[in-house]
Amino acid sequence: MEEMQSLWKSMSQELNNQKKLTDKLIIDMTQQRYTNRFKKISIYEGAGAIVCFAAALYILLNIGKLDTWYLMLSGVITLAVLITLPIVSLWSIDRMKSLDLSKNTYKETLIKFASYRNQFLMLQRLAAYMAFALVFTALPVASKIKGDKDIFLTNTATLYWFIPVMLVFLFFFVRWGYSCYSGITKSAERVLQELDES
Amino acid sequence: MPNQEQFIQLIRDNEGIIFKITRIYSRDAEDAKDLYQEVVYQLWKSFEKFRGDSKMSTWMYKVALNTALTHSSKRKKNREENPLNEAIYRIYEETDHVMDERIQFLYSQINKMNVMDKGIILLFLEGKSYEEISTITGFTTSNVGTRLTRIKNKLKATVNT
Repeated sequence: MEEMQSLWKSMSQELNNQKKLTDKLIIDMTQQRYTNRFKKISIYEGAGAIVCFAAALYILLNIGKLDTWYLMLSGVITLAVLITLPIVSLWSIDRMKSLDLSKNTYKETLIKFASYRNQFLMLQRLAAYMAFALVFTALPVASKIKGDKDIFLTNTATLYWFIPVMLVFLFFFVRWGYSCYSGITKSAERVLQELDES
Repeated sequence: MPNQEQFIQLIRDNEGIIFKITRIYSRDAEDAKDLYQEVVYQLWKSFEKFRGDSKMSTWMYKVALNTALTHSSKRKKNREENPLNEAIYRIYEETDHVMDERIQFLYSQINKMNVMDKGIILLFLEGKSYEEISTITGFTTSNVGTRLTRIKNKLKATVNT
């Protein structure tokens, strides 16, 4: 071990003698990262939220066209999903990003990050289920608002193939999602368990 | 806005430390250069808040190690190639020559460790005392000692096989 330490020391000395960074490179690194961060938020999370909110607004403006209780119920569910999904998703991402990396110790960061990530993945799973519910509720709503057709009365044939296909898809989708989710959470749990033992 | 000159000096004085941390916590050169930028960015972000309550080096290790922990190592598709990335890449290529086979072996062994042990062994190799390791990691000094003994035994067993 002492040999390793002295080996490490000599490598560190050599690294210290090799000054490779220029002032410009250091400033460019901070600036580029700052801009990229902003770009990522606006493109992925922001765009998704805008699409959801725009769709919600469209339904809200046309909610009067949903003239039966079941269409109204579908409309309300669709609205709830479209509004809560992006808010919850953005909130959980923000929580992970807001970890104070300068104040927390290594152990605290490990614990917080592992539990935030677990919660984030759980929310992602929940979001996937909610998105699926959206497929069932958005179709009759869109059909009524766009084409003034009550899909439950005029287009029952579509429902006969649409619901079974969606249920089969849901089965495989949930199974796949669960296997991905349990793999990641197991590794996070292992870290937390090891920390508990220490 | 942090004092730019002081910040630049800090990074220049400690570029070796950033290199060593990013080398340990990344999967490949691509990932390492991404993490390198992220560490510099996080240091820049928290530099303004640093009030001197702890040693500058303690603060720096804390930020760099925490950044490495929370950094996503997912391979990103279509990574942007630009002069900045190429410059950091060159640093890695040139600095790798500093390392002889024994150092490469040591790195490969550390890479196999779990994140907790990685942080502790790195700080130990950096010559930090048990108290300093405890301040940075949040583990008690006795726990640091126990973990280090375990790590040493593991390393010894690997070297002997």
